[in-house]
Amino acid sequence: MKNRDLAFWLFLTPVLLGLGLVVIVPLIYGTIYSFTDWNGLTANKFIGFDHYIKLLQDEGFLNSIWFTIKFSVVTVFLLNFFGLALALLVTRKLKSSNLLRTVFFMPNLIGGLILGFIWQFIFVSVFDDAGKLLGIEGLQGWLSTTTTGFWGLVILTVWQMAGYIMIIYIAYLQNIPTELIESSKIDGANSFQRFKSITFPLVAPAFTVSMFLTLSTSFKMYDQNLSLTGGGPFESTQMVAMNIVKTAFGANEMAYGQAKAVIFFIIVAVISLTQVYYNKKREVDM
Amino acid sequence: MKRKKLFSKTGLVLVASAFLFASGCSSSDVNGSNDSNGSNNSADEEVVVDVFQSKVEFKDEFDELVEKYEEENPNVTINFKAVGGGTDYAQALKSVFSSNDEPDIFSVGGPAEVEQYRTYLADLSDTDSAKAALKGTLDGVTDGEEVLGLPYNQEGYGLLYNKALFEQAGINPDEIITHEDLEKAVTKLDSQKEDLNIDAVFALAAKETWVIGMHLANTYLAPEFNNNAITAYNADTVTFEKGDEMKRFLDLQAKYSVQPVLSLDYSQQVEELFSLQRVAMIKQGNWVYNAIHEMDPEFAENNVGIMPMPVEGYEQSIPVGVPSYWGVNKQSDEKVVQAAKDFLDYLNTSEVGKETILNDFNFIPAYEGYDTSKIVDPISKGIYDYASEGKTIGWTFSGYPTGWSVNNLAVHMQEYLAGEKTWDEVVEDSIEDWEEARQE
Repeated sequence: MKNRDLAFWLFLTPVLLGLGLVVIVPLIYGTIYSFTDWNGLTANKFIGFDHYIKLLQDEGFLNSIWFTIKFSVVTVFLLNFFGLALALLVTRKLKSSNLLRTVFFMPNLIGGLILGFIWQFIFVSVFDDAGKLLGIEGLQGWLSTTTTGFWGLVILTVWQMAGYIMIIYIAYLQNIPTELIESSKIDGANSFQRFKSITFPLVAPAFTVSMFLTLSTSFKMYDQNLSLTGGGPFESTQMVAMNIVKTAFGANEMAYGQAKAVIFFIIVAVISLTQVYYNKKREVDM
Repeated sequence: MKRKKLFSKTGLVLVASAFLFASGCSSSDVNGSNDSNGSNNSADEEVVVDVFQSKVEFKDEFDELVEKYEEENPNVTINFKAVGGGTDYAQALKSVFSSNDEPDIFSVGGPAEVEQYRTYLADLSDTDSAKAALKGTLDGVTDGEEVLGLPYNQEGYGLLYNKALFEQAGINPDEIITHEDLEKAVTKLDSQKEDLNIDAVFALAAKETWVIGMHLANTYLAPEFNNNAITAYNADTVTFEKGDEMKRFLDLQAKYSVQPVLSLDYSQQVEELFSLQRVAMIKQGNWVYNAIHEMDPEFAENNVGIMPMPVEGYEQSIPVGVPSYWGVNKQSDEKVVQAAKDFLDYLNTSEVGKETILNDFNFIPAYEGYDTSKIVDPISKGIYDYASEGKTIGWTFSGYPTGWSVNNLAVHMQEYLAGEKTWDEVVEDSIEDWEEARQE
């Protein structure tokens, strides 16, 4: 920490410059604009907290926050569950483990928009045909109700991101010293006990990383939402990011959309920081 | 400690100065180009006209036209940029304006956008195009004496039907005039579903908010605004005078549509269901022609007909409107404004321009003096026939509060279709949303 001489700052300048130009400056500008009547072209006057008061009564916005929270809770749980399960599967001594890793990771390489359209086809057409063929009513009419829209989004996100989370878990699982496992075997621990008392505590840092990643991505999700359900039916599957875009660019209320974005930023920041703080405390040092 | 602080300040200064430098560069660029436009006044000076418009579909054809124009007018250079299709044009236009990279010719959608860009829009009433524009096509952009935009083209929509299926079922589309007639025809088709080998009579794409909120609703809202977008733009409220008619028309489509309507989208409606002849009717307009043509050229050319939707007092009328207008930036250099006007006249009224508009863009022209027998696609032809006979209903949704049709009305209609709201609630809530938007 003591080496902060001129060279230190010079080396840092490009990063600071980039960060400043694309993150800090827009953030400050945006916050200022949220207190004005900015319409995207001109801002005429400061209106104080009017937008913030308005958004507290904005049913659409509150619904989208509630929907996003429900969605995040479910996906964070499922993603970590499947991520860890897949990681445990492919770190076993299987012949096909490398192939499986590739396969599980693959969905992550496809862009969110495309994925949304692919899954839309699966849910709307394939599910429907399969449902008719097998006589299962539950498979028909997907994405036309709020519940199916919700689970459609969850399935899509979990399918896409589980492979990525798996990679993180693999890295930590492979770092567990074999002597610990061996000695526990000698002590007569069964595989569940080994998982509970050795593997699980030692991959705790991975939880921090993955929880942070999954929480913030599922909170900020936009493209999958847009292409899979488009917020429909009747905006009931609209997540916060989409609500903001629609306010700003759909209804042309730029400053109001910006105010929502500021609130959204605060929510995401608070949740992520608290979560990292608590998970950090629980990690075990080797 | 002091050292640290000093250097952190140096860092800040570095950041700040780099920022200033960057912004300084861009603004001097703008000044530079303006100067070069205004400095020399010789007759054959170079004029550069930047066009920024919203139809990517005909970019290549437009480029060809520009080339021809530049050959005839060697001192004019036209830079053409199209944003649209997947990207939001309104959003892109806003960003080029706020970044001081203002185009000389751009598109505006109607009264609301005209108002937004009012300080930029030049009066075009002295152009040949404005004089040749068909009656009613300038309504959305006229402000007193001033004409602030020139129509691209006309578009219209109605009930597209499968001619062969109608014939097979023994229905004469010309006899369908009132809602009762339509209902009879629909039930007749529905009873013969097996024989006709169709899934359902209609495909209602209720997932697409513009299909129900903009187009379907407009058919029944336009009359209360005298078919004029400006009237709608100035209206403090909306009354849903024909709300009941709107309801029964929506109900009829929803009841006899392929289910579930709420997840049925545009491409399913047009490409999968209508083009493959799995439904007999859809409510759509001339823009679907290319999509149908790609699926089945034979069907598109010979078997698609268009008929009006039943509206009391407006029987046999088709909603026809102008989707967007050319606007000229009056804050550009005077010479550039003149060159822009000349170019638009060339596009709309010269022989070469007319050819391009009819044959390459496949537009329904919004100007006089076109050889309309050259319109190849039967949907456009049908719409043009209704329009030239004056049997039209206006397009008023460009005068609604911004986003109201798709973000409010359409959403309430979806809730109605899902059984979450009664029709009365739809009407009440939509009126409330309208009034709220107007108060701001």
